[in-house]
Amino acid sequence: MNHALRRISLACLVMFVLLLINVNYLQAFQANSLADRSGNIRSFDQAYQYQRGSITTADGVTIAKSRPVKGIYKFQRYYPYGSVYAPVTGYDSLYSQSAIEQAENKLLSGTDPTLTVPNLINLITGKPQQGASVQVTINSKAQQAAYDALKAAGKSGGVVAVDPQTGAILALASYPSFNPNAYATFNGQKLDKLDAKLRHEASQPLLDRAINASYPPGSTFKIVTSSTAIGNGGYNSQTSVYAPTSLALADTTNRLINSDGEACGGGGGHVPLILAFAQSCNTVFGYIGIKLGSAALKQEAEKFGMNSSSLTIPMQVSPSNYVLAAGQALTAYSAIGQYSDTVTPLQEAMFSSAIANGGKLMKPYLVQDVKAPDLTTVQAKTDQLSQPVSANVASQIKNMMISVVQSSYGTAHAVPGILAPGLNIAGKTGTAQNGTNNTNLNDAVFTAFAPADNPTIAIGVVIKGGGYGAAAAAPIAVQVIKAYLAFLGRQ
Amino acid sequence: MPRGRRRTEFLMLIFAVAVVVFAYGSVGLGLNGKLPAGMAEYCGGFAVLILVAHFAVRRFAPWADPLMLPLATLLNGLGIVMIYRLQEVGRNGNPGSLSVPMSASATAIQLMYTAIGIAGFIGVLALIREPRVLQRYTYTFGAIGLILLAIPALLPSHISEVPGTGAKIQLAIGGFSIQPEEFAKLALAVFFAGYLVAKRDVLALAGRRFLGIDLPRARDLGPVLIAWAASLLVLVFESDIGTSALFFGLFVVMIYVATQRTSWLLIGIALFVFGSVAASRLFGHVGERFDIWLHPFTGSNPSGNAYQLVQGLYGMGYGGVLGRGLGGGQPYFTPLVQSDFIVTAFGEEIGLTGLMALLIIYGLIVQRGLRAAISTRDPFAKLLAGGLAFVLALQVFVIVGGVTRLIPLTGITTPFLSQGGSSLVASWMMIGMLMRISDTARRPPPQAIQDEGMTQVVRIG
Repeated sequence: MNHALRRISLACLVMFVLLLINVNYLQAFQANSLADRSGNIRSFDQAYQYQRGSITTADGVTIAKSRPVKGIYKFQRYYPYGSVYAPVTGYDSLYSQSAIEQAENKLLSGTDPTLTVPNLINLITGKPQQGASVQVTINSKAQQAAYDALKAAGKSGGVVAVDPQTGAILALASYPSFNPNAYATFNGQKLDKLDAKLRHEASQPLLDRAINASYPPGSTFKIVTSSTAIGNGGYNSQTSVYAPTSLALADTTNRLINSDGEACGGGGGHVPLILAFAQSCNTVFGYIGIKLGSAALKQEAEKFGMNSSSLTIPMQVSPSNYVLAAGQALTAYSAIGQYSDTVTPLQEAMFSSAIANGGKLMKPYLVQDVKAPDLTTVQAKTDQLSQPVSANVASQIKNMMISVVQSSYGTAHAVPGILAPGLNIAGKTGTAQNGTNNTNLNDAVFTAFAPADNPTIAIGVVIKGGGYGAAAAAPIAVQVIKAYLAFLGRQ
Repeated sequence: MPRGRRRTEFLMLIFAVAVVVFAYGSVGLGLNGKLPAGMAEYCGGFAVLILVAHFAVRRFAPWADPLMLPLATLLNGLGIVMIYRLQEVGRNGNPGSLSVPMSASATAIQLMYTAIGIAGFIGVLALIREPRVLQRYTYTFGAIGLILLAIPALLPSHISEVPGTGAKIQLAIGGFSIQPEEFAKLALAVFFAGYLVAKRDVLALAGRRFLGIDLPRARDLGPVLIAWAASLLVLVFESDIGTSALFFGLFVVMIYVATQRTSWLLIGIALFVFGSVAASRLFGHVGERFDIWLHPFTGSNPSGNAYQLVQGLYGMGYGGVLGRGLGGGQPYFTPLVQSDFIVTAFGEEIGLTGLMALLIIYGLIVQRGLRAAISTRDPFAKLLAGGLAFVLALQVFVIVGGVTRLIPLTGITTPFLSQGGSSLVASWMMIGMLMRISDTARRPPPQAIQDEGMTQVVRIG
C-alpha cells in the first residue's frame, strides 16, 4: 500500500503547491488590479485611515487639509474656504475626487510610487503613513478678490489670473461654485443625494468655468487679429487703416457695423490701427481679417494656444476654438471674435500673458511643488508653450492695449478704478453677442495685464450675460489686479 | 533505537505558544495601541491546556510524532487570535461591523472549545491504545457515520439550517449548535479503513482490461456506487457541496490505497465529474457556484452572489505581501469572515507571507500523517492514517482554494482556524488518531524480558 500512499502524498503536495501559487498570484501580482476595482471599498477606506496631504496656496494659506476625527475613519477632509477654492482643490469624497484632489490623488494619498521610500521608512520607524502635501500656485489674495467680485456680480462666469513670466496660475475662480466640504461626508447615501442634486442643478455649480467652459471672446480676439496683422501682414500700430462706419460684406446683405453703429475715430474713413484697437472698431478688424484670411488667423490663434485639447494644468483644460471660416462674412466675424470663436477664461488670460511676456507664452500650471512627508520637494518647472508674436510685435500690441485703458476714447477708460495709481493696466474689452440670432444677453469679456511696464499678472474674465465687457468684466479684473499688486507691494 | 522525542515536542510547543501569545498581544497593539484586556488569562489558559495535552502524550503515546502537537497548537492558537481580533470589530471603538455579529465572549467560547478539543484528543489517546481495536467496530462506526450524516437532512430546517446559507448541516439546540458531519468524517474514515482492509483482495480483482486500465468486476462496483450515492444525497438534501466532495474524495482515495488499482481512482474521478456537472445543471445553487467562480466581477455579481468571494479577494489584495498587521486590516467587510472566510482575514492581516506559513503548517501536518501511514505496518492503521491525512489536505484545498478562487467556492470549515466547536474538536480527535498511529509505528519492538545471552553456534558433526 506504500506505493499508493506515496502517490497520494504527491497529490497532497500538488494541492498545496497549487494553493501557494494561487495566493502568491493573488496577493503579490493581483493586489494592485484588485485595489483599482471600482467596488473595492477597502482601497478608498484606506485613504481615510491615513492623513491625506494638505493643499496650500503659494502664499502659505491652507485650503484643504485632513482633520483627525473619531469613528471608523480616522481623518476627514476639510476645506477652510469652502466654495472660494472649489475649482482649485475640487473635492475628495468616498467614491471620487475632482480637480487637484483628483489630479494629485496618488501624491496626496501617499500611494504614488515616488513615495515608496518615505512610506517604507515610516513603516519601519513606526510612523503613520502620510500623504505628500501639494502647494498650488494660487495667490490667496487674488483668488479671494476674484471670487468675491464674481459673487458680487451675481452672474455665472470665470476668472483666471496667471503670472505672465512663469505661467503660474494666480487665481482660478468660478461662479456659481459649490462647497467641497459637503463632499467630505462619510455617509454614502447623503453623498449620492448631494452629488445627484449638484449634477442636475441648472446653475451647474460643479462646472469649473475658468477652464472647462468656453464663451465667445468678442473683441478681445482683436489681439489675435492685430498680432497676425502686425506680425505677418505688414501692419504696425500706427498704420492708417480703412475704417468705414459700416462694412459691406461680399456674401451677405448684412453690413458689419461698430458697437451701437457709431463711427470709427472721426468718421473720416481712415484711422491709425492703435485708435481702431482702443475704440474696438469692428469694421476695421473685420476688413483686416478679410485681407489676412481665415487660415492666417487660425494659425495665429493656435500659436496663442487655441484649438488645443492637450493642455493640462494638471486638470484637463477644455479647448478654445477658432474654426476656419469660409467666405468674407464669416472671416470678418471670426476676426472680431464672433462666428464660432470660443475661449475659456484661461485662454483670455493666455492672450494677455503672451503679450505681457514679450511674445512668449508660458504654459499655465497650478502645482507649485509637492512636499513629501520627509520634506523633500518636487519643484514644478516652467515651460514655454509657444511664441505667438515677436518681442517687437508684442511691444506694439502692449501699447495698443495700454491705449484701451489710458486714452480718453479707449473702451476701458471709464472703468471705475482702472486708472488708480500704481496699477498701470493694459487690457482689451470684449462684448460678445451670442445665442440664436444674438438674442441672448451679451457676454462680458476682459483680458488684461499689469503693471504694463513690468507685468506681474495677466488676467482673463468672462461673465456670461454680463453685458458690456467694460461694465461687467473689467471691474472684476481691476479688483483682482489691485489685490495682487497690493500683495506684491507689501512684500 | 528510536527516541521518543518528547523533549523536542516540548521545545516546539514553547515556540508555538510564544508565537500565539505575541500574535494575541499584537492584535491589541494593532487595534488600540495597548495589550488586550484579559491577555494573561487567555494566554495562560491556552498554555495550560497545551501543557496538559503534552503530558497526556508523554503518558499515553510516548513514541508519537513530535511535530503534530506543536503544529496543531500553532493553528488552534492563531485561530483564537483571529477570533479575538474579529470579536473586537465594532467593539471598544474599533471600526467595522460584521454581517453575522459575534458575541463579546466569542474568544472565551473558542478557548472552551479548545479545552473540549484537547479533552477529545486525550480521550482518543487514552481509550484507543492500539489502532487495531477500532477495526473490531468497523460496521458500528459505519452506522454511526451514516446516522450523523443523515440527521440534519431529516430534521426540520429551523434546527438544521445554518442561517443565511441554506445548508442543512447542523443541529442547533438552544444557543449551541453541533455540526455532526465533522464527526461523521472521522467515523466514516474508520469504517472505510475497516471495510476496505477486509475487502481489498476482492476489490483488487481485475475484471476486463479496457484502454490499458484494469477495470474491476461490475459486481464489485457496489461499494463505490453506494458511497457516491450517499455523497450525492448529502449534496441534494443538505445543500452542502463541500462536505459531499470531501466524503467522496476520502472514499476514493482510501479504496485506491487499499487496492493500489488506478482504475478505482479514474472511476471515482469520472463519477465525481459526472456528478458535479449533473448537479450544476439540476440544482440552481450548484450552477450559481460555477458562475460566481468564473465571473465574480461580471455584471451584478460583485455586489450580489459573488459579494462574499469578491470581498475576500479584495481583503487578500489589500493585505498584499506583508499584510496590514493584526488589527490593521478591514476583514469585517467580508461576510462570515469568522468561519468559512477566516483564511482571507489572515491573508489580509498577516499577508501573503503569513498565509504561506499557515499553508505550510497544514502541509506539514498532512506530511507527518502520511509519514505515519507509510511507516506503520498494520494495514488498517495505514489506511486510516492515509485517509485522515488526505482528507485534511483535501479540506484545506477545498476551502482555501474556494476563497482564493482557485476552484469553485464551497462552504466548509477551515480546520483549527474557523470559529465553532465541532470542527475544532473533530480536528483535535483526528490529530489524536494520527499521533496514536505514529506512536504505534515508531514504538520499538518489545524487548525480551530477560537477556538470554548470545545464541551459541554449535558446530555439529
